[in-house]
Amino acid sequence: MTSLNIQATDRTPEISIEGSPPRMRISGESFPEDVAAFYGPVVFAVESLVDSLTERLHVEINLAYVNSSSIKALYRIFEGISEIHSKNLLESITWFYPDDDDILQELGEDFKDRFPDLPFQIEITA
Amino acid sequence: MTAPSFTFYDRERALLAEGPELLARADPLEIKDYTIRLLDRFEKVVRENEDLTRHSDRQEQRLVKLNKNLKTQARDLEERQTKLESISKNLARYLPPQIHEALFSGQHETAVVTKRKKLTIFFSDIRGFTEIAENLQPEELTDTLNEYFSEMTEIALAHGATIDKYIGDAIMIFFGDPESKGVREDARACVTMALQMQNHMRSLRKRWQLRGFSHPFEIRIGINTGFCNVGNFGSEQRLSYTIIGGEVNLAQRIESIADPGGILISADTYAHVIDLVEGDERESVSLKGIDRKIKTYAISGRKQSRPQSFKISHPAGVSVDLDRDQLSEAERKNLADQLRSLADDLS
Repeated sequence: MTSLNIQATDRTPEISIEGSPPRMRISGESFPEDVAAFYGPVVFAVESLVDSLTERLHVEINLAYVNSSSIKALYRIFEGISEIHSKNLLESITWFYPDDDDILQELGEDFKDRFPDLPFQIEITA
Repeated sequence: MTAPSFTFYDRERALLAEGPELLARADPLEIKDYTIRLLDRFEKVVRENEDLTRHSDRQEQRLVKLNKNLKTQARDLEERQTKLESISKNLARYLPPQIHEALFSGQHETAVVTKRKKLTIFFSDIRGFTEIAENLQPEELTDTLNEYFSEMTEIALAHGATIDKYIGDAIMIFFGDPESKGVREDARACVTMALQMQNHMRSLRKRWQLRGFSHPFEIRIGINTGFCNVGNFGSEQRLSYTIIGGEVNLAQRIESIADPGGILISADTYAHVIDLVEGDERESVSLKGIDRKIKTYAISGRKQSRPQSFKISHPAGVSVDLDRDQLSEAERKNLADQLRSLADDLS
């Protein structure tokens, strides 16, 4: 299975794909200087999961800030996840948002609306 | 192996790139399939664009709100700062300036802590103040006393003194803490300050007399140098930055026996100013609460520096050019006698 481990910086989130059952986590703040360069490996890792997954994938997204370019990259990641879901290899997607952050709550709802077939949950960050 | 590159809208660009060739071939089935894919992608792009615009607007609203809050906070902060400055200015009048400055720069310890340090202590009071006070209207007394304190304080601060407190008509000052230029320089600064105070009192007395004040104040000054405990005395609730110790009491006792208009200093202080001021040794005295005889010096003024070389040149043919240090005591005396005799003959 494709695995990935990107450490967080003050401008980019921590991103990992690992474990059994497989779990993909994105957490932190996202406003990279070069969004395409940062998210490129993530987009391709997700796309390659379609052929490498043997167990159902759990996805957790826990972002504290996202700029507009990062949202565009997340769309591409969600398209990849949709493809995984079409192969019946997706267990769940959980979108976490900070309690008092209506922007991130609404962003999660936007993604849920755009990808209505996905098992999508929105929760307040613990 | 190089990772395949990802760019925004790469899928859309790839789809668009297929268009010209397909249209050139003009195969209706191919065009139909292409149109369906184009519409699907176009729909996704429109949705993404809607979401991104909405998200961007939300972020902008938050920024505007934050900016407003920031402006309000900055205004509040400015108001608080102005208020604090005003409070600080008022508070400064109740504290020695050095302590006030140290407190507001965060350098002053506010715990109940004291240290032992050699300081020069100054006391002054107004001769016959009780009787003067009885013969004056309270308003006149207050105004004159405040004028006196204010002008003495100005002199004290100009010499770097720490004003400990005003006790009725008395002033208690010390040199050597929180700032010190060394024991000797502190003692010299204190005695120099005392001389200036007494000089200034002469001007003040004239001013008061012109105003019709029949009993202008006359002050006594006492100075001593010795080890004291200095620091914050009191409790955690209320502190007083002051000095205590036998040497403080001694300074006060010396002041009590000083002549009106005079400055009386202890032998310990005199040792530091012997080359600076004229001092008349007084008979050692016993002072209340002090278990030894105390030697004091009455200070009459600064030592006049005597010229070291003399030059006289007169058209009548008289010419003198001598260096004082080149003559012995006897030679100087002999020459002075001759010159005096010559001067007598000439006049």
